[in-house]
Amino acid sequence: MSGRAISRAIIALTFVGCAGFGGARAYAGPAKAGEWWSHEPIERPAVPSVSEEGVRWSRTPIDRFIFQKLTEKEMRPSREAHRRTLIRRLYYDLIGLPPTPAEIDAFVKSDDPNAYDELVDRLLESKHYGERWARHWLDVVHYGDTHGYDKDKLRPNAYHYRDYVIRAFQSDKRYSRFVEEQIAGDILYPSTLDGMVAMGFMSAGPWDFIGHVEVPETKIDGRRARNLDRDDMVATAMNTFVSSTVQCARCHDHKFDPVTQQDYYNLQAVFAALDRGDREFDTDGETRGRRAELIAKQKKLEGELETIQKKIRDVGGDRLAKINSEIERLRDASRASSKAAQFGYHSQIAPKPDVTKWVQVDLGKTAKISKIVWVGSHDNFGGIGAGFGFPQRYKIEVSNDPKFEKDVHIVVDRTKKNVANPGVAPQKAEFAKGKLEGRFVRMTATRLALRANDYIFALAELLVFDEAGALVSHGRKVTSLDSIQQPVRWRRSNLVDGYYMGVTTNVEDRATVAKLEAERDGIIASALDETTEARRGAVRGEIETVRRQIAGMTKRMRAYVGWPKRGGPRDIRVLDRGDILKPGEPAVPGAIPLGTEGLPAIFDLQDAKNEGERRVALARWITDKRNPLSWRSIVNRVWHYHFGRGIVETPNDFGKMGRLPTHPELLDWLAAEFRDGDQSIKALHRLIVRSSVYRQASEPNEAFAAIDSSNAYLWRMNRRRLDAESLRDSVLMIAGKLNRAQFGPGFRDFVLEKTEHSPHFEYHKHDPDDAMTHRRSVYRFLVRSSQQPFMQTLDCADPSQMIDRRDESLTVIQALALLNNRFMTRMAYHFAIRLEKDVGYKSDAARVAAAFEMVTGREPDDDESALLATFVESHGLATTCRGIVNLNEFVFVD
Amino acid sequence: MQNPQPKSRRQFLCDSAGGLGGVALASLLAEENALAASKDTGSNEGRSGVLGYPHHRPKAKRVIQFFMAGAASHLDLWDYKPRLIKEHGKKWDPGEYLELFQSSPGKTLQSPWKWERYGKCGKHLSEITAPLGDCVDDIAFIHSMVGKQGVHSTSTLLQATGFQLPGFPSMGSWVSYALGSMNNDLPSFVVLPDHRGFASNGTKNWSSAFLPAQHSGTLIQPGTRAPIADLFPLDADYISPEANRDVRSLLEKLNRKHERRNPGDARLEARIRSYELAGRMQLSAPEALDISKEPKKIQEMYGLGYQRKEYPKSINPGEETFFFGQKCLIARRLIERGVRFVQIWSGNDNRHPRRNWDSHENIQRDHGPLSIGMARGAAALIQDLKQRGMLDDTIVMWTTEFGRMPCSQGSSGRDHNPFVFSNWLAGGGVKGGVTYGESDEWGYKPLDRNNPTYCYDVHATLLHLLGIDHERLTVRHNGIDRRLTDVHGHVIQDILV
Repeated sequence: MSGRAISRAIIALTFVGCAGFGGARAYAGPAKAGEWWSHEPIERPAVPSVSEEGVRWSRTPIDRFIFQKLTEKEMRPSREAHRRTLIRRLYYDLIGLPPTPAEIDAFVKSDDPNAYDELVDRLLESKHYGERWARHWLDVVHYGDTHGYDKDKLRPNAYHYRDYVIRAFQSDKRYSRFVEEQIAGDILYPSTLDGMVAMGFMSAGPWDFIGHVEVPETKIDGRRARNLDRDDMVATAMNTFVSSTVQCARCHDHKFDPVTQQDYYNLQAVFAALDRGDREFDTDGETRGRRAELIAKQKKLEGELETIQKKIRDVGGDRLAKINSEIERLRDASRASSKAAQFGYHSQIAPKPDVTKWVQVDLGKTAKISKIVWVGSHDNFGGIGAGFGFPQRYKIEVSNDPKFEKDVHIVVDRTKKNVANPGVAPQKAEFAKGKLEGRFVRMTATRLALRANDYIFALAELLVFDEAGALVSHGRKVTSLDSIQQPVRWRRSNLVDGYYMGVTTNVEDRATVAKLEAERDGIIASALDETTEARRGAVRGEIETVRRQIAGMTKRMRAYVGWPKRGGPRDIRVLDRGDILKPGEPAVPGAIPLGTEGLPAIFDLQDAKNEGERRVALARWITDKRNPLSWRSIVNRVWHYHFGRGIVETPNDFGKMGRLPTHPELLDWLAAEFRDGDQSIKALHRLIVRSSVYRQASEPNEAFAAIDSSNAYLWRMNRRRLDAESLRDSVLMIAGKLNRAQFGPGFRDFVLEKTEHSPHFEYHKHDPDDAMTHRRSVYRFLVRSSQQPFMQTLDCADPSQMIDRRDESLTVIQALALLNNRFMTRMAYHFAIRLEKDVGYKSDAARVAAAFEMVTGREPDDDESALLATFVESHGLATTCRGIVNLNEFVFVD
Repeated sequence: MQNPQPKSRRQFLCDSAGGLGGVALASLLAEENALAASKDTGSNEGRSGVLGYPHHRPKAKRVIQFFMAGAASHLDLWDYKPRLIKEHGKKWDPGEYLELFQSSPGKTLQSPWKWERYGKCGKHLSEITAPLGDCVDDIAFIHSMVGKQGVHSTSTLLQATGFQLPGFPSMGSWVSYALGSMNNDLPSFVVLPDHRGFASNGTKNWSSAFLPAQHSGTLIQPGTRAPIADLFPLDADYISPEANRDVRSLLEKLNRKHERRNPGDARLEARIRSYELAGRMQLSAPEALDISKEPKKIQEMYGLGYQRKEYPKSINPGEETFFFGQKCLIARRLIERGVRFVQIWSGNDNRHPRRNWDSHENIQRDHGPLSIGMARGAAALIQDLKQRGMLDDTIVMWTTEFGRMPCSQGSSGRDHNPFVFSNWLAGGGVKGGVTYGESDEWGYKPLDRNNPTYCYDVHATLLHLLGIDHERLTVRHNGIDRRLTDVHGHVIQDILV
C-alpha cells in the first residue's frame, strides 16, 4: 500500500488538526454488525437541490452533491480547466498515454459542442483503455508473475489472468459477472475461457514454495504454510470486493470491526479446497466437447481390446505368461551393459540384519502400473558378486503418498521368510489392467543382506512399466531412508539409470525370441476366431488413430489459477491465536455478519462438503444487491482513480480503522446508480468524467486551502504525479519506440540467472534497447522478490501487497533514476534520433520546441524556446531531450 | 485550520503540503532544516524524521546491523556447550518429539573448533570467532533467541522486519522513518549486500513496504560498475560531465518558470529540490565510498590486505575477510557522514555449492571461512568505532535467521534450529561483557523455556536506545496500526548501561 495512506497516517501522527476532514473518531471497541456506516443498506438518496449557481455549474447529479457540500463548507468550485489541460488529463486518466500535439490541436480548435463527450467515448473504446484500468485492478489483487518468498520461482502461465482483466475492462463486463468469475468461474461458467482464467484472481498473490512443496501438508510447517495461504485468499477476496480487513481476525476477534475469529475461519472454509497451480484446459467449449468425445471413444476401444486380450490370456494360460516374460527378459537384457560401473543403490551400513531400510522411486505422477521389475546388484566386494546386498526379506509397495502412510498397496510381500538370493536375475511382478495405480514405488528391506561383518540393502535397478508397456521409472527421482552416495558406483540415481548386470545380447537370444514369438502367435490364433482376430487389429488401429487425433488437437491452455484439490475441502477449525497446533471449533462456510436482512453470515448450502457450492455462495453474497459493502466499494475505487482520492479515502478498508466518506450521499447515489443500472464501469467513467467537478482547473485558492488544505471536498481538481507505468509508457511513445502489441507472456526486462534454485533477476544486465521490452508496462513480468528498481522508485505497485492507493513520492533516488537510468538515457537518445529523422523540422531549435510540446502538451513560450535553443546548441539534441523528459511539467498532470 | 500554534514547523509543513504528496516535501524540507540546524550548532543531531523529537533521551544515534544469511550456528561461534564435546558421536536424545527441516536427528555433534575464554568477562569463543576476543567486554550476547519456523525466507523476514510475511518495513526503514537523516547528501538507510548476491527474499529484506519510498534501504555494492544504481549515467557516451551538470541547471530554470505559473503547490518545489540533492549526492557518495584514502594501518585492520584479483571457487577465508572488512570500513565512513542505519550482509541465497551459512553438509567447510571473515571485520569495526569515540552512540548488532542443531546431519553438517540461536549487541548504551539468556545444555532450546527472547525484544531494545518507544512508533496500514514489534516486545533492561 501506499504512501498516500501513509501520508495520511503521517499527518494523523504529527499534524493533527490540519486535515480538517473526517478526522476525529472514537475507537471504542468493535461495532456491532449493521451499526457502522458501511453496513447500512444502500438507499438511493435524492439528488440535492442547489442554488441557481449550482444548477448552472452542474452537468451531472454528481455535481449537485459536490456543490452542496462545498456550499456547506463555504467554498465554491474552481473554474473549468483549459481544453489543453482537459485532453491531457483525460488521456492519462483513461488510457495512461499522452495525446499527440495533433490530437491536442484538433480538440482545442474543435467547435463541436460534443467534442468533449466524443473524446471520452473514443478513449473508452481505445484498446489502451483496458490496459490502463486493468493495471489498477492488478494493484488491488497483488498480481505477480513469480511466487515470492524464498526461491522466488517463475509463474510463466500467470499472465492469462492479467489478460482476462484487460479484456474484462475493455469489454465492459458486467460487474457482478466479473466478481463471480474470479471467485467461482470454474463452477459457474465452466464452458467459457473467462470462467477458467478468471480463477487467476484466487492465485494472484504470493505463494510459499518451500512451505508447500518441500514441506508436505503432513508436517506442522506445511500446515502453517497452508493456513497462511488461505489467509491470503480470504484477505484478497474481502479487501478487494467488500473493502473489509477481515485478516485481522486470524489471531483474535477484530478489535474494531464486527468480525470474530469464527467469522474469519468461516471465510477460510470457503476456500478450504483451493490450491494454486498450473491447470490445463481447452479455451473454447467446442474443443472441450471434442476432446471429451475422443477420450470417451478411446476408453471404449481400450475396453473392447481388453476383452479380446482376456480371451487370449484365458487360452494361453501360464504358458503364454511365461513366453511373454521370457521374451521380455531377453529384450531387457539386450539393453543392459554388464560393464557399467553404475552398480546401483546402496544403503548405509547396519550392525545387525533386522533393520528396516527402504528406497523408492517417484514416477512424477500417478501411473497405471502393469509391471514392476527389480534386479540385484553386482559387486565383487568380499567375493559376493551377483546379488550383492539383495535383502533376505523384503516387500514392495505402491502409493500416492510419498511417506507411505496412507493408501498403501503391498504388491510383493516377502517378509515372512527368507528368500534365496536371485543374483542379478530380474525379479518381477505383473498386475492386471486397472488394478494398480500409484505415483511412488517403494522397496523395503525388512531383513538386510550380509556384507562382510555387517548388513546392507543394495539394489541395481527398479523398473516400473505402465499399462502401455512404457518404462515410467527411468531417470525419476529416487529417495531412500539413507544411502552411502559414493558416485559413480553407488548412488540413488543408479537405481533408475537402465544399467544392471544381465545377460548380454547375442544371436542365440535373438533366435530364441523369434521362436517364442511364433509360439505365441499360435496361441493367439487358437484363442480367437478370424473375425475377432481381425477386430483386434482394427481396434488397435483405431486406438492409434484416436490417440493421434487427441495429440493433434489445439494445445490446451496452461494457466496459473486457483483450483480445488481432489478430495474435497480441508477441515478448517478456529485456531486459538492463529496457531495451527491449537484447533478449536469447526468453521462453517460463511462470510461476515452485516446485519442485513436476507443476507446471513452463514451460508445455506445444499451440500456442505461441496467446495464449489461454498465459493458460489460467497460470490452470490458479494453480488447480492442487498450487500451494502460491494457496491460502495467498487464505485469508490473508480472514483479514487479519477480524482486521486476516494470518497472513502481508504478503498480497502470501510471499517472503523478506515476513513469516513467525505460525501456519504454521493457514494450511496453512485452505488445505487451502478448497482441498479447495467453495472457498467464504462458508464460510471462517463458519468464521472463528464461532470463539472472533474473538469475543474487545479489552480490554488488560498482561502479554500485554509478550510480544506487536502482538497477533500474537491474545490479544485488534484494535480497528480504520473504513475510509474504511465511515465514509462509515455517515454517509450515519445521516443518512437512504443510497441503496442497486446496480451501474451510478460516481457522480461531483466536477465534471468541461476534458475536451478533461487532465480536471480538481474535488471542491470538488461539491454534497454531490446525491442521486446518496449511494450506497455502492464505487460511487464512482475517479480516479487526483486522489484524492477526504476519502476519502484516511481512507486509502482509491490506485488507482495494489496495496493489500494499508490504513493506519489518525490525522492532523490527517483530524480537520479529519471536522469541516469539506462532506460531513460537510451530513450532520450532515441527521442533525438526520431526528431532528427523527421524532415518537417528544419533546425535543432525547431526540434527541441517540438520535443517540448510532445512532452508537456504545449508549445514553449519565447523565453523557454530561447533557453532550449541555447542549450541544444552547446550540448546537442539528445542531452536536451534528456532534460525535457525530466521536466516537472511532464511528471505532473493537471 | 485549528492548529493553535502559528507558524510552527508542523504548521508550515502542513500548509505548504498543499494536498497530495505534500509529505514528501515535508520530509525533504524538514531534512534540509534539520541539516541547517545541525550545521549551525556543529552537532550531528539531525532530527528530520517523523518523530521530530525522540520519545525519550536517546543513547544512540545510529545502527550497524550484521545479518548472516542461511542461518549461522550459535554452537560453533559463541555458545559454548561442553556437553556436546563430552557426548560427541553418541546418540542425541532431547527427550521429546522433534521435526527437523531436512533430516532426521543424527548423533551429537561437537564443534570442530577449539574454545577459549576471552576478555575480563571470560566469554568463551571458538577459534573462528577469536578475532572478536578483544571486543567481548563491549558486547552483550543473547543466547536465548527463538524463531518461529525453520524456513529461510520467513525467518529472514522475521529478523529483518519483525514479520514472517513479506510486505512489512525493514527495521532500518522504521529507524529512517522515525529519525530521518543526518546528512541529506547521503541516503539515511544503506544496505551492503553480500558480494555474491542477495539473501533469500532479495530486496524485500530492506523494503520500506508501506512507509514512504525514501525509507527503503539504498543498495551500495562496492567494487561494482555502479556501486549506487543510477548515481551516474552508464553507457551513454553522448552525456559529457559538463552536459550532466548543465542539464540540471536547464531543468532548474524551466521548472522554476513552471512553478511560478503554478503557485501554491509545494511539490513542484520539492521536485526541484530533489534534483539539487541528487547533484550533491553525486559528489558526496563517491567520496564516502573511497576507502583508498584511509591510512594503511586502518586498511589492514579491516583486512583489506586480503584483496586478490581472483579467489578460489569454494568459500575461503581471504575472500570472506576482504569483502566483509571492506563493507565494515565503508559502513564506518557512512555513519561518520550521517547515515542513520547500515545493514551488512554475509552470505548469498541457498544454492549448491554453498555460498552462505546454511551448512547442512559440512559445518567446517563453510562456517570456518565465513566466520573468520565476519569476525575480523566486525572486530575491526568495533575497535575502530571505539578509538574514534563513536561506539558510545553507535549500536552494532549481529543477527541471523535461526540457529543450527546440536546433532549432526549426515556426518558433519547441522540442520536448522529455529528453537534457539544467538544475537549480540555492542555500543550505543549496551552493557558490555554480559550474557543475557542462555540456551540449554545442548544449545537446542532456551534454558528457561518460559522466557525466550524474540526478535521483538531485540528490536524494542534497539529502538529504545535510539530514543523511540516501540509501542508508539506506529503507522496505520490496511486498518491496523502497524509497528516494528507487532503486538510484542519488551526492552531488555538487563543489557542496558
